[in-house]
Amino acid sequence: MIKKNSKNVKLKRAASTSLTYAILIGVSIVFLFPCLWLILASFSKSGSIYSFDGFFPSEFSFDSFITLFTDTSSSGYNYPKWFLNTLFISVMSCIFSTLLVIATAYTVSRFEFKAKKPLMKTTLVLGMFPSFMGMTAVYILMTQFNLVNSHWGLILIYSCGAPMGYLVQKGFFDTIPTSIYEAARIDGASNAKVFRTITLPLSKPIIVFTALTSFTWPWSDFILPKLLLKEKDMYTVAVGLMNLGETEFSRFAAGAVFIAVPIVILYFFLIKYMISGMTAGAVKE
Amino acid sequence: MSTKLSLKSKTKKIGNDVKEKFSKEHMKESFENKKEEVAVKTVYKRDNIKHFFQTANSNVFASMCLMGLGQLMYKQIVKGLIYLSFEILSIVYFVMYGGKAIYNFFTLGLITGDPWLEIAGDNSVVMMLMGILTWFIVVLTIVMYYTNIKDVYNTQIRVLKGGMPEKIGESLAQLADKKFYKTILALPLIGVLIFNVLPIIFMILIAFTDYGGDIVPPELISWVGLENFEKLATLGEIAPTFLKILSWNLLWAFSSTFINYALGLGLAILLNKKCVKGKAIWRGFPILAYAIPGFITLIGFKFMFSVGGPINQIISDAGGDVISFLGIDAKWTARAIGLVVNAWISVPTIMLLTTGILSNMNTDLYEAAEIDGASKRKQFFKITLPFVIFSTTPVLISQFIGNFNNFGIFYFLRGGLTLDGYFLASDTDLLINWLYNLSIDNNYYAIGAAISLVIFIITSAVSLGVYVRSDAYKKEDTFR
Amino acid sequence: MKKTIKVLSIMIVLAISLNMLVGCNVDELRAKYSHATTFKRFSGELEENVTLRVLDNDTALKQGYFDELIEAFNKKYEDKGIVAVDANMDSYSDLANDGPYGYGPDVLYQANDVLMKYATSKHILPLPIEKLDCYGQVSEKAWDAYKTTINSKEYTCGVPVNIQMPMLYYRKDMLPADWQSSWDKNNNEVPDMLESWTEMYAFSKEIRQLDDDKYGYMKSLFDPFFSLGYMLTYGGYIFGEDNSDPSEIGLAAGNAELGIQMIMQLATIMNEEATDDTITLNAYSKMAKGEYFATMTTPDVYSMFINQFAMEKESDGMSKADALKYAEENLLMTTIPTSPLSGDLTDRDGEQIGSKIVGGINGYAISSYTKSPVASLEFVNFATNYDNVMQRNEMLGVVPARLDAVTALGGMELNVYEFLEDGDLVIMPSIEEMAQFWPPMQTFLSDVVMDAFRDENKRKFSTLTLMKEGLNKVSKQIFDAIYTLK
Repeated sequence: MIKKNSKNVKLKRAASTSLTYAILIGVSIVFLFPCLWLILASFSKSGSIYSFDGFFPSEFSFDSFITLFTDTSSSGYNYPKWFLNTLFISVMSCIFSTLLVIATAYTVSRFEFKAKKPLMKTTLVLGMFPSFMGMTAVYILMTQFNLVNSHWGLILIYSCGAPMGYLVQKGFFDTIPTSIYEAARIDGASNAKVFRTITLPLSKPIIVFTALTSFTWPWSDFILPKLLLKEKDMYTVAVGLMNLGETEFSRFAAGAVFIAVPIVILYFFLIKYMISGMTAGAVKE
Repeated sequence: MSTKLSLKSKTKKIGNDVKEKFSKEHMKESFENKKEEVAVKTVYKRDNIKHFFQTANSNVFASMCLMGLGQLMYKQIVKGLIYLSFEILSIVYFVMYGGKAIYNFFTLGLITGDPWLEIAGDNSVVMMLMGILTWFIVVLTIVMYYTNIKDVYNTQIRVLKGGMPEKIGESLAQLADKKFYKTILALPLIGVLIFNVLPIIFMILIAFTDYGGDIVPPELISWVGLENFEKLATLGEIAPTFLKILSWNLLWAFSSTFINYALGLGLAILLNKKCVKGKAIWRGFPILAYAIPGFITLIGFKFMFSVGGPINQIISDAGGDVISFLGIDAKWTARAIGLVVNAWISVPTIMLLTTGILSNMNTDLYEAAEIDGASKRKQFFKITLPFVIFSTTPVLISQFIGNFNNFGIFYFLRGGLTLDGYFLASDTDLLINWLYNLSIDNNYYAIGAAISLVIFIITSAVSLGVYVRSDAYKKEDTFR
Repeated sequence: MKKTIKVLSIMIVLAISLNMLVGCNVDELRAKYSHATTFKRFSGELEENVTLRVLDNDTALKQGYFDELIEAFNKKYEDKGIVAVDANMDSYSDLANDGPYGYGPDVLYQANDVLMKYATSKHILPLPIEKLDCYGQVSEKAWDAYKTTINSKEYTCGVPVNIQMPMLYYRKDMLPADWQSSWDKNNNEVPDMLESWTEMYAFSKEIRQLDDDKYGYMKSLFDPFFSLGYMLTYGGYIFGEDNSDPSEIGLAAGNAELGIQMIMQLATIMNEEATDDTITLNAYSKMAKGEYFATMTTPDVYSMFINQFAMEKESDGMSKADALKYAEENLLMTTIPTSPLSGDLTDRDGEQIGSKIVGGINGYAISSYTKSPVASLEFVNFATNYDNVMQRNEMLGVVPARLDAVTALGGMELNVYEFLEDGDLVIMPSIEEMAQFWPPMQTFLSDVVMDAFRDENKRKFSTLTLMKEGLNKVSKQIFDAIYTLK
């Protein structure tokens, strides 16, 4: 009887495992296919997307990658420069935004103060405002600060806008048991120390998530850079790619593939921090 | 009972005697002390202005005349100097720029520029913006003035209670600990004020001007009151378009949020299963989608679904008729494709996020449940789901907001259409696309701003209502 | 929140009342400044030791023409220290946004509709065109494209460089071998399908019947820039008073519905791709592969067609030089064919009338925010002189707007110039309202083209009356877009 039961359970488990894998494979194909398409398109020999045979190019070559990095003089299409510009802007705003967002979220989650609930409501409401409607204002503001056509202007806007999205991070901090803090406070640790020694190590997953998203936002945004960067040498990759003629699709795809690489690398580098949260037991008192 | 009473009156009497004696020696101070005594007793009625004026001492009045003076009189040198220099700076600012900026804010410029004659003229838009910025500084000055008085009044009370005026070190320590939130929030707050709130106020104010059409700098803009809103209410074309787009926009926002959230969460839970090996690799596939900038994805998808695209090529090779997925008649197919493409773009983010949150879940709960013999399904619905929903309510809300204002999807997939029955919009356009058509493509900034203000009021009321009722807002400590 | 609203409303009320108070001063001040001294900025000395930032178009940069141009200019003005450089900006960047804050170029090259949008707000300077070398040579019609009237005075704000007119691109090697006997009824040594739309239609049909994968004439018909011509041919017009009065939209005027009928007939020799920009994008490679016989586009992309064609031939095993030569010999441009008077493409024997087409005049303008207007004018003068215009034609294939240049070139260039002179080339209106014209028109045209592929019972434009109604409706939409919110 018992044996039969356990067999049943095993069978069930095997079935559920294989179902899980089946779904995973399905999902992976769904996500992989368009990416694969883009990658193969970047290796297409003819520039046009319409010379493809069905989904994929009929002839392959490295030409578009070679021109992407070597043909930098004519028509101001300087991909390597743009890549470095984008990297600089993204890294800088990633650092500042992550700091600001985490600090904001932590504070709003941990502290009780009079203005807290109004603050939470206001930020929520402000987020509903269609952002491009304020673009004119942002542009004029930057002309007054003399930060048009400057990377620091962009970094400033990205970093300053980031705390608006603190709600997600606050949700995470809300799940950290208060008991840990109380214990620390009783031990006489100051708020700053609590933040440093307890919150930070505990919040690795959310910090990594925040860093990743605040890196990818400037990395792929084209609206703000298009508005604020005037000279082609100052462009970010996204703006540059948007300006590319529609007949040069393989070059566009090559640029797109190359811009995706750092994010994928970043992911594989960071993923272990993202899922080693509290389960590690570091905080179970 | 009686002894107690008498004892009390006795002490009081002694106290009075002492005080009288004291007052004989220092007439003036005694008067103040009396005042201070009252202050101590009613310290909790601080908000009462009349009472405040009765009790405040000369130091407080000194600070009222000149910021920081009271603090200096209490020998709080650093704090006093900070307040003082703030006052000097703000006076300099208002004399040199601020006053003019406020004046310009009201007039929005008097001299029309003429680039041909090199007359720079007044730029109304800049004037309005700098005006708002100056109003910010006005508010800041008032707040500083208020805190200055409050601070010195608190010191007065503190001294009365027998304490010493707070030393600068103590104040700083407070800011680093108990009032840590003030320290931390200051910087983000300033940033958000300038780069998020300021543009929003700017746009709101634009709704009350005639900005747009022919009236763009160097032409002068002027205030027109509620004219734009009157136009919106009386024009036959606007209201039907608005309602049609709004209903689709709401449907879109709810369904896309639900789809993205359910799929993202499902994927995260699936990947969190013990039986899955090589999690990092499996998670890597959605990350590929995440790594490609959204607009590139959208351009790619547009091509795939276009009449000459690969999907149609396969269909026609198989002998079928070409389908115009995003064409002029393709209302619902285009909407459905929008949902699918949006899911493709957003699911990885939600998966990443919920993965982080799931890994933060307290495993004790599961152990306990397992001991109790709860089934897997029951565990999911009783433990996992409530926890996840609680901690991802903000994700849901930000997803909702993001989807509600999702500009890119239909701009890239099906932009440039203006259909029958819609005023300058198509049947897949969301409100934000419509606003873009109105204000950027057709230059109707003021009308666009007026509409966005209306939308803003509606949507923020709705989402605020939902949010305030959610557990994540009401009971922040459910899972602590 | 309530408080904020209160404060805001008080601010607004205050603002309005104050504005009324100061209103009276405004007019005085305005009167004081409205003395018009048009060319004051150009009367000064030539500025020395200045850098001119010039924004030319992408093709000119890519093909190396612009580099040659500024090199020659800089050499000539070396002793004065005037240096022209590439503004290094996006060719579609908005001067109205950049200029007033000091970020725009000094000299810019654009199509007339783009440039003249700036003129209304005085972002580009009125020019003393009589001083220019090209003044007498440039067609009066081309100058007209750059004229604007401000306070009932007429100004010219740009200098025409070349004429942008859609051309018929075709593959000579795809003509039937016996075209001289079977496709040259008038014996003028020009294939008939390049002379009239009716013949092109018949030939395309034949190609379709012979090979299901091949097409004759192919074009994204939904594109109003290229398709407006069909309506204009039959009496339609864009705006009233020579395209200057947007309150009058004449899309349905005359027999414009015949143009719609023609578009729908042309759609039947194509496929659904005509409803969006697929064909515009894939024409490069499909022409090269020989899947399309002909298409229509502007001359400035000719080099891209040739490159694609040469590449295709190269991969077929030709040497690089041979491939290029073959491409240049067999992918040719010609002016657009004539149309049937009846508006029916199956009417091969009926009378033919000249087709109209929409085009543009590209040229230079000078930003009002330049610090060195005289030097900028000097640059424009230099760039529009005979030699440079000829060089531009040679390197980029564009058609000059100078009579002496087109006379010297003859052939296709001269034909285009005549189109302009005869008024068959309708220049895009140089008024801002054009921006509101495109989207409704484009939607309408894709609806029309789509109609050719709809089931019989679902057709929206099955009769000429319905087509006319459609045109009236879209005219109303455009009118509404322009005036509803004004």
